[in-house]
Amino acid sequence: MGNSISRALGRLFGSKEMKILMLGLDKAGKTTILYKLKLNKIKTSTPTVGFNVETVTYKNVKFNMWDVGGQQRLRPLWRHYFPATTALIFVIDSNARERMEEAKEELYSIIGEKEMENVVLLVWANKQDLKHAMKPQEVSDFLELEKNLKNQPWCVIGSNALSGQGLVEGLSWISNNTNVPKK
Amino acid sequence: MSHPHSHSIYLSEVPVRKPKVMGNSLLRKIQRACRMSLAEPDLGLNLDIADYINEKQGAAPRDAAIAIAKLINNRESHVAIFALSLLDVLVKNCGYPFHLQISRKEFLNELVKRFPGHPPLRYSKIQRLILTAIEEWYQTICKHSSYKNDMGYIRDMHRLLKYKGYAFPKISDSDLAVLKPSHQLKTASEIQKEQEISQAAKLEELIRRGKPEDLREANKLMKIMAGFKEDNAVQAKQAISSELSKLKRKADLLNEMLGSNDSQNWDNETTQELHSALRLAQPKFQKIIEEEQEDDALVQDLLKFNDTVNQLLEKFSLLKNGDSSAASQIHPTHVSAPLQQSSGALTNEINLIDFNDLDETPSQGNANTNGANTSTGAETSVNDLLGDLTDLSISNTPSANQTFFGLGGDIALGSSQPAPPITTTQNTDNNLDLLGFSSPQQPTNSQTLNGNGIDLLSGFSAVPTTTAAPTRTLVNESSNLKVEFEISRESASVIRIKSFFTNLSSSPISNVVFLLAVPKSMTLKLQPQSGNFMAASAQDGITQEGIIENVPVNPSKALKVKWKVTYSVNSSQADETAVFTLPNV
Repeated sequence: MGNSISRALGRLFGSKEMKILMLGLDKAGKTTILYKLKLNKIKTSTPTVGFNVETVTYKNVKFNMWDVGGQQRLRPLWRHYFPATTALIFVIDSNARERMEEAKEELYSIIGEKEMENVVLLVWANKQDLKHAMKPQEVSDFLELEKNLKNQPWCVIGSNALSGQGLVEGLSWISNNTNVPKK
Repeated sequence: MSHPHSHSIYLSEVPVRKPKVMGNSLLRKIQRACRMSLAEPDLGLNLDIADYINEKQGAAPRDAAIAIAKLINNRESHVAIFALSLLDVLVKNCGYPFHLQISRKEFLNELVKRFPGHPPLRYSKIQRLILTAIEEWYQTICKHSSYKNDMGYIRDMHRLLKYKGYAFPKISDSDLAVLKPSHQLKTASEIQKEQEISQAAKLEELIRRGKPEDLREANKLMKIMAGFKEDNAVQAKQAISSELSKLKRKADLLNEMLGSNDSQNWDNETTQELHSALRLAQPKFQKIIEEEQEDDALVQDLLKFNDTVNQLLEKFSLLKNGDSSAASQIHPTHVSAPLQQSSGALTNEINLIDFNDLDETPSQGNANTNGANTSTGAETSVNDLLGDLTDLSISNTPSANQTFFGLGGDIALGSSQPAPPITTTQNTDNNLDLLGFSSPQQPTNSQTLNGNGIDLLSGFSAVPTTTAAPTRTLVNESSNLKVEFEISRESASVIRIKSFFTNLSSSPISNVVFLLAVPKSMTLKLQPQSGNFMAASAQDGITQEGIIENVPVNPSKALKVKWKVTYSVNSSQADETAVFTLPNV
């Protein structure tokens, strides 16, 4: 009962809820981003072995954000998190130029999956505070999303998890580019 | 900033993920299997769906379960009956990932949606089929599955229906047998593969449920899946060694029964069963040997055991054909742990055949406490159920994607029950179950359980071989292979030759085929080789026995035999041949 009332209210005020899957290589900053968004704090995190999930509400949208560990041996398990994903956030350490190719491969192997073919893709080119970091445009060019992604909305946004720069913009972009049926 | 992967081009160690193409073809197949125009259930198509689900995994088991539950509630009883028949096929062929889905509360509620709160005077055919299905699951996967703790809601639904006054039909043993665990010898990679599939299914289900306790469990499971592969490997090895020791006891039992002079002792169902268990296991030996090449103790043990199994099978078929004198010539080696030797009395055999019984004995402390835990857990949830009976249908699935599924009818499992019986202890329980398979022999048991299988096996290699070996004669020695004969005179005109093959190379030798020819005036009876594979440097890795008959008592010239051996080593084919002059014996 209570459930359906809140659902009806939600419909009235247009709140929506979506599953966001945040992936990326290890040390890209996924967990730091998650807790910056959730708590507005920098939580020093050890490498995630497993996953974290938090709900972040922004402009009446509830983002259920799943941050899954990015270490090599966890990557084969990513696919178990694909079902029901609305948006994929791929976090890249823009300063780790030598790992760009690896990141690109992983990204394409995710979006090549059938279950992920309709998701909205946001790439956070993270660690923009570092002097030698690749600029968002460079990251974008390197990933060749323009060339390869025809049917799904995508976007590369520079971010700095420490200051929070780019994070809200990212969520806002996702919210504007998804039309999840309102519940 | 430096990172472990500093080079830009690399081959990932991760297996290539196969793309999952599901679309709606699964649902279309299911619709087709349940279409009204069918005259009877389309078993072929049903099995096809089972294969499809097994191949796809992921969301497939769940999607299928949901679709079938809806079809079971179709107005057309035809459709419902076909759906139930499909359900039966999937439960029996899709294993744990599907069992996990039918044990979901929502699925079970949907399944009994059409059941009135009070049992009708007469059940409809569909109700009868549903009751049969639940009873079958209750008697099998809820009790015997290594993941039985995940099946709690089936038990709850069974209790709830019973409480409401529904009577369950009696299920025949043969129907139950299908869903009971089969104790088959599997290779480590097969065991691990199964484990991985089950763990993946469970992880996805936990993620879908998404309640805090599910997520905690998922995190733990993920750690196991990602970081503790070695754990799985050790478990797999333990499972192999425990299955092997069971087989060995079966072999010894068969050996003993065949040794009896009374034909009643060897010509009965028990021997048939033992015989077929051994015969079915044999093809796995080579696979295990190939996978476990580096484990020399295991390989040697298996080769020896294979030798014995060959002899037993031979003896069995000789006896079957009424050739008891030839059969009595074969004396298979005793293989199982020494302790078992004394227990040979036939009175033990029944217990030995169904090793499962031992799970119930108090000596298996761990297994037993598991049982106790689950039953108390279920009891408390039943109390909750009773308190809940007035609430007709409640379900607060957090993911509102499938709002109307599983809300149930008059009979439904409520939502205020304790959390689904998936707790962290469960993983360890599963492990224990795996270990719980192991041997019924108590005193040596602890050793078996602790070691990773090697302890157990080293015990076997210590078992003395039957007879003190007569002198061996070297027949040939190449860089890869040494062939030796052990020659003895059985009687005036019969010579027995036992050949031994030793791998001198540092690579395994496979596909060994040994051929022997004797002069035309004599007859040669060769028994099968003990195997055709030898691990690197395996001493006497293969043996073979043969008898030459009609040997002249005082030959004018020495007896000559021609031999040829072919094998592959380092993936190249080799053969060696020569004529060998037998020494006088």
